[in-house]
Amino acid sequence: MQDDEDRIVVEHVYKTFNVYLDKANSIKEKVLFWNRNKKEKREVLKDINLTIKNGEAVALIGVNGSGKSTLLKLMTKIIYPNKGKITTVGKLTSLLELGAGFHPDFSGRENIYFNASIFGLTKKEIDNRIDKIIEFSELEQYIDNPIRTYSSGMYMRLAFSVAINVDADILLVDEILSVGDQHFQEKCLNKMKELKNEGKTMVFVTHGLGSAKELCDRAIWLNNGKIEMDGNTSDVIDAYVKRTT
Amino acid sequence: MNIFTNIYQYRELLKTSIKKDIGGKYKKSFFGILWSFINPLLQITVYAIIFPIIMKNNIENYTVFMVCGLIPWTFFSSVINRSSCVIVDNGNIIKKVYFPREILPISLVTSETVTFVISSIIILGFVLGYGMGISVYICFFPLLLIAQYILSIGLSFIVSSITVYFRDIQHFINVFLQLLFYGTPIVYSLQTIPEEFRWILHLNPMTYIIEGYRNIFYYQQKPDVGHIFGVIVLGIIITIIGYFIFNKLQKKFAEEL
Repeated sequence: MQDDEDRIVVEHVYKTFNVYLDKANSIKEKVLFWNRNKKEKREVLKDINLTIKNGEAVALIGVNGSGKSTLLKLMTKIIYPNKGKITTVGKLTSLLELGAGFHPDFSGRENIYFNASIFGLTKKEIDNRIDKIIEFSELEQYIDNPIRTYSSGMYMRLAFSVAINVDADILLVDEILSVGDQHFQEKCLNKMKELKNEGKTMVFVTHGLGSAKELCDRAIWLNNGKIEMDGNTSDVIDAYVKRTT
Repeated sequence: MNIFTNIYQYRELLKTSIKKDIGGKYKKSFFGILWSFINPLLQITVYAIIFPIIMKNNIENYTVFMVCGLIPWTFFSSVINRSSCVIVDNGNIIKKVYFPREILPISLVTSETVTFVISSIIILGFVLGYGMGISVYICFFPLLLIAQYILSIGLSFIVSSITVYFRDIQHFINVFLQLLFYGTPIVYSLQTIPEEFRWILHLNPMTYIIEGYRNIFYYQQKPDVGHIFGVIVLGIIITIIGYFIFNKLQKKFAEEL
């Protein structure tokens, strides 16, 4: 079934989290309170099957707790499924949470290096991109200041600029189109469109149905850990809105 | 093997985290990098005063004898100690992005190795200061370093991944290291141990490592190459087992942290 055009293939994926009501953190507690160690299994994803092809921009929608973010985390390999298999082809970057590896005492420029190296770039690749990254963030004046002096908006702008310039084949984005002010948000949206036109594969988790409609040509509606509907963005969103309101 | 391509691809991350580790350790302290000398020197002073008094021995130049064991031991014990919290301390990043998790223990061991090589200057200082001179056998130093490096990587894989699930191990390790300190011929010589108990020390790979350093710096004779290769083989076995354990456990790191 594997196809050259497939970028993300999710096959029969199940994910359960153990929710500890009262977790024993030490051996002492484990021995003393062995019967207290109650846990609840919470099935977050049940038998998910989907294939995302090269160049597709897919929106994952659904109410809170429906498993969207979990599915995205599974795709990035931060967590692993209990059952089933996820295959990804090509370089993958996730914009799950921005600014991983940022160190407040180092300058913006140094942090670009730290952050980009976590995404798997080499020094040379970062050297080539650094001007583009700084330009995109519009932080030229402050780039050599330690980032603890940045405002939270500036911090996010820097983080977003690094992530977006990694040049990955697959981009996973979790609810971060709300970075910065109006001007910067528009810039991000335009950059996303540009990447889409370049043929990158993208998956968005979003509650912003408007931007989903604008960017994506396919939407997947998750409900209670199952795929409720998968298809054309406006059809799925219409059905979703009808159900939830 | 997947691990090698992974690490090659993320080599920049490995490099920056080693640099951050070495440079960041003393970044905010007044004496800076000098601490990597002051700390062991203070420890040496204490031991050099105490041990000759409480444990009578007829070892010539006892201070040099002890320094040859103490500096490599410090390397070993700080690797084990720091391994026990390396994953937990980096929980924030682990929960946020994907990167090969094995980078963390590997960069820890590597940066400790660099620190050790720098602090070997102390050994040289003592050997020269006591007028013992330097022999050609010092060329075995890299071989010993490799043996200890491989052993450390393997143990680091195991310790770092298991502590995520049992945080108690952090405390247990402190006790265990103290015990092992006396179970390794650092402040005493192997010969002073009664014959019938010596086999216990021979079960400890650090015995061979310390004896090796002592041979090249203190006795100035050829170390037992067979023993060193034995440690290398053991280190490789532990590393392979350790990697399998690490790889199995790392899948749930983000959930457990």
